Amino acid sequence: MIVEVLQTILLVAIAPLITGIIRKVKAYLQSRTGPSILQPYRDLRKLFSKGSVVSKDASWVFTITPYVCLSAIMVAALLVPVIYARTFGFVGDLIVLIYLLSMMRFFMALAALDTGSAFGGMGSSREMYISSIVEPTMLLSIFAMALVAGTTSLGNIADGIATNGWDLVAPTLLLAAAAFFIATLAENARVPFDNPATHLELTMIHEAMLLEYSGKQLALMEISSMTKLIIFLAILSNVFFPWGIATDLTVLSLTGGLLAFLVKVLVLAVTIAVIESATAKMRLFRLPNILTVAFILSLLAVMSFYILGAT
Amino acid sequence: MIEYILLIPLIIAALCYPLRRRALVEAVAVAGSAVTLIASLSISYEVFTTGTLDEGLLYMDALSAYVLLLVSLVGLLACFYSISYLRRELEEGEITELKLRNYYIFFQLFVFTMLLVTVSNNLGIMWIAIEGTTLASAYLVGLYDRDTSIEAAWKYLVICSVGITLALLGTIIVYASSIQVLGEESNALNWSTLQANASALDPGLLKISFIFILVGYGTKVGLSPMHTWLPDAHSQAPTPVSALLSGVLLNCAMYGILRFHMIVSGSSLGAGFSGGLLLLFGIISVATAGAFIIMAKDYKRMLAYSSIEHMGIIAIGFGFGGFWGIFGALFHMLNHALAKTLLFFGAGKVLQRFHTKDIDKVHGLIKVLPVTGALLLGGGLAITGCPPFSLFLSEFMIMVGGLSSQNYLGTILYIVLLIIVFAAFLKHIGGMVFGEPLLEERPSKERRGTDVVMMAVLLIAILALGLYVPEFLNEVLDQVYRLFVPGGGA
Amino acid sequence: MAFSTTTIIDGLAAAILLTTFIAIASNRMFSLVRLFALQSVALGLLAMSVASITGAGHIYAVAVLTIGIKGVVIPWMLLYVMDKIRTTKEVEPLVSIPLSLLLCGVLTAVAFYITEPIIFTSGTITTITKNCLAISLAVVLIGFYTMIARKKAVTQIMGLLTMENGLFLAAISVTYGMPMIVELGIFFDILVAVLIMGMFAFRINKTFDSVDTTILRRLHD
Repeated sequence: MIVEVLQTILLVAIAPLITGIIRKVKAYLQSRTGPSILQPYRDLRKLFSKGSVVSKDASWVFTITPYVCLSAIMVAALLVPVIYARTFGFVGDLIVLIYLLSMMRFFMALAALDTGSAFGGMGSSREMYISSIVEPTMLLSIFAMALVAGTTSLGNIADGIATNGWDLVAPTLLLAAAAFFIATLAENARVPFDNPATHLELTMIHEAMLLEYSGKQLALMEISSMTKLIIFLAILSNVFFPWGIATDLTVLSLTGGLLAFLVKVLVLAVTIAVIESATAKMRLFRLPNILTVAFILSLLAVMSFYILGAT
Repeated sequence: MIEYILLIPLIIAALCYPLRRRALVEAVAVAGSAVTLIASLSISYEVFTTGTLDEGLLYMDALSAYVLLLVSLVGLLACFYSISYLRRELEEGEITELKLRNYYIFFQLFVFTMLLVTVSNNLGIMWIAIEGTTLASAYLVGLYDRDTSIEAAWKYLVICSVGITLALLGTIIVYASSIQVLGEESNALNWSTLQANASALDPGLLKISFIFILVGYGTKVGLSPMHTWLPDAHSQAPTPVSALLSGVLLNCAMYGILRFHMIVSGSSLGAGFSGGLLLLFGIISVATAGAFIIMAKDYKRMLAYSSIEHMGIIAIGFGFGGFWGIFGALFHMLNHALAKTLLFFGAGKVLQRFHTKDIDKVHGLIKVLPVTGALLLGGGLAITGCPPFSLFLSEFMIMVGGLSSQNYLGTILYIVLLIIVFAAFLKHIGGMVFGEPLLEERPSKERRGTDVVMMAVLLIAILALGLYVPEFLNEVLDQVYRLFVPGGGA
Repeated sequence: MAFSTTTIIDGLAAAILLTTFIAIASNRMFSLVRLFALQSVALGLLAMSVASITGAGHIYAVAVLTIGIKGVVIPWMLLYVMDKIRTTKEVEPLVSIPLSLLLCGVLTAVAFYITEPIIFTSGTITTITKNCLAISLAVVLIGFYTMIARKKAVTQIMGLLTMENGLFLAAISVTYGMPMIVELGIFFDILVAVLIMGMFAFRINKTFDSVDTTILRRLHD
């Protein structure tokens, strides 16, 4: 019980750090020094101390969205295995997780429309365009893992796969992981899907939805986004490649789990940074090509489970 | 022994390669084809009198001998016709001397691959040979430099290769069912072994395999709806090649299907499954061909569609089964080969005289090229199944087969479709033969040479066969028929 | 975390299917050729694993031939043809890429549906690689689809080659490979077919100044 709470707190606490690391690595690859990796913490602190300016056309949707998003993402954080392969599974399983993320996206899109600014509407429509293909991909790829493990609770999936080894899963796992990785990039507004640092009308998707927020609300939205990223990375490391995670409560396995988690997330963060530096943001209407590839990969993962595994 | 027959065309092709003088190339090629025919006659005689020849990978039973004879006969006729036809093309500047030599080389290679199809025992080798026929004839189909030739050759290559690839899948599945029973023996892919052990083979696998084989090799036979390459290829190829393609290549591909049909009939599925599928594809083919013949504007394409129709008829014959159905279909293979060769030879002369393939532009053949026109009219009557020609006889036999196997719906469809094709085809041919020739035709003497003699011989042959089937032919066809009856094989 | 050989075989089969899908999604001709080479290498490795498990010696030779001819020689020939034709570098699809991908997903499901009775219920096929039959049929169907849904002549050749790869996988999955002489003959056939089709593609380009096969429309009724 305590361990589950602790691991959620750890997750939220580390989230800005991971974002900072990604920015730093990108800077290095671009031959700059870049901001310090603790900079996101400082940014958040700055934002909390500022006042917010709200458009006079905005309604209650605009006001409650940051709180909805934050609570959704915190609950989602409870469901993800970080160090220990048990979570608050009684709260919900992977389906609840997906719906929480959807709720977050739904409210963000509504809030962006709420202010009546053109940028907001444009951001919302682009976001929905991408998410129409990404959501099934995410669902299917985690379902593939759920099929293998025979349960939909994320913690139990991690447990099941960690104890059973490669044999059952290799092609399904690789295909599903590849699909989920592409979905991670898409959901978290990373290049090649979206540039997280741009504010140009032509190129922004996620940022367009945040454009009208300022002060405390902006800080809450930023925290939500960063936590979302680390949740995805945690799922990637602990559900798809769960070896190293603690399956019992001894101090040894817990420290082992912590180390494994940190290493895996770090590797993923660096990979994302490298991909962001090496590829260019794709044009909007080319995105369905790569997203459909991801969808097909997740579909193949599910099918290959049946074709290759279920003899 | 059998391999000698295969070697002859190869040697001829190799011999033609260094030759430069046109007359020499022609002489060597025709001599080669003649020797091939003589060798086929002798070896077929041996098979028909003493029984099957088993040489491991090469194997000849009555059906192999029959198709082998067809290939060699039409091969010789077409080669002989090529001489004057290509000479004329050379004069008109349609082809170069180099192309002429290459033509004869690929011609012999093409004949080699077809011979290999008929004598190979191993289904894998047979597959390779059938694919080989596509590759060898592609050059011939695309011989001319016209854009339509390239289009026809490309479509031919691509569509037939796709079909044959599907047939390979069928072959693999048959092999799978075979090694279950025989283990991984070296003769597990020989159709003779498979036919002998047919009752032990797994019916489910055989079903799937036959479907792939029928669709795959059926593409090569020209059964609808896989026929789309056929009108293009047969009309754009030079005329003697068209005769070869229509007359014998389609029969060779049908031979491939028949080997599988015999295996499947011998298994626990019985002849109903494969026969039913053959009947279905046959009827669809005849219907499609009929529709397109009605709309035909290009007479070579019309002849190509007629080939599709007749292959459909042959498939229907084998589909009906029973004595009359199979005997009729086998007889029809011979008749169609002869009649179609006759028609294509005639069409070739018309093409070289009128320089157009358009039906509407050709009129009054009977005045411009009297002998050719008459022979063409005779051929047209024959191919649509008019008595007293032999095609009427074989089509009638197939109809009797349909009635005796109580497949009344199939028989009715068959008769109706044949009547439709009869009317449409004769309308076109009649329009070409009779009527007034268009004024701009330069009057020039009709070239009456060996071609006309060959055409006349063919017409007399199909007339004679229609009136009286000689004893040896009857005996031969009977022997081939007995192969289809499980347990009664020679 | 032991790697059993069935996992290797299954992994390679999944890799083969994956390369086929990525080939549908790719927009450039060179990637198509390289993916085909990759697919052939995976196929050869799979054959070698089968050979090492079953001890069937002739499959080794076939595997080496696959890697050599289909992985090296034929891609080289295709690149040579493409270079000579100087065609544009894009694959020109008749059907948009996302739709193609979805259709191929459906085709894979269809392939699985067709082969399910053979693999699971009828106990007739007893090889260790019978699961690969579904993947092989899927590759054949996707190769067939590629031939229909792409305009350029060279991509049609590649579709045919993909179908042949699928068939070879099918042969390995149900029968541990066909007799040696047949396999050799098939290789020879494929090589000659690619040669001849390449020559014709070249001729098409010379005559029409493009290898877009949708312009081959002069013959029709």
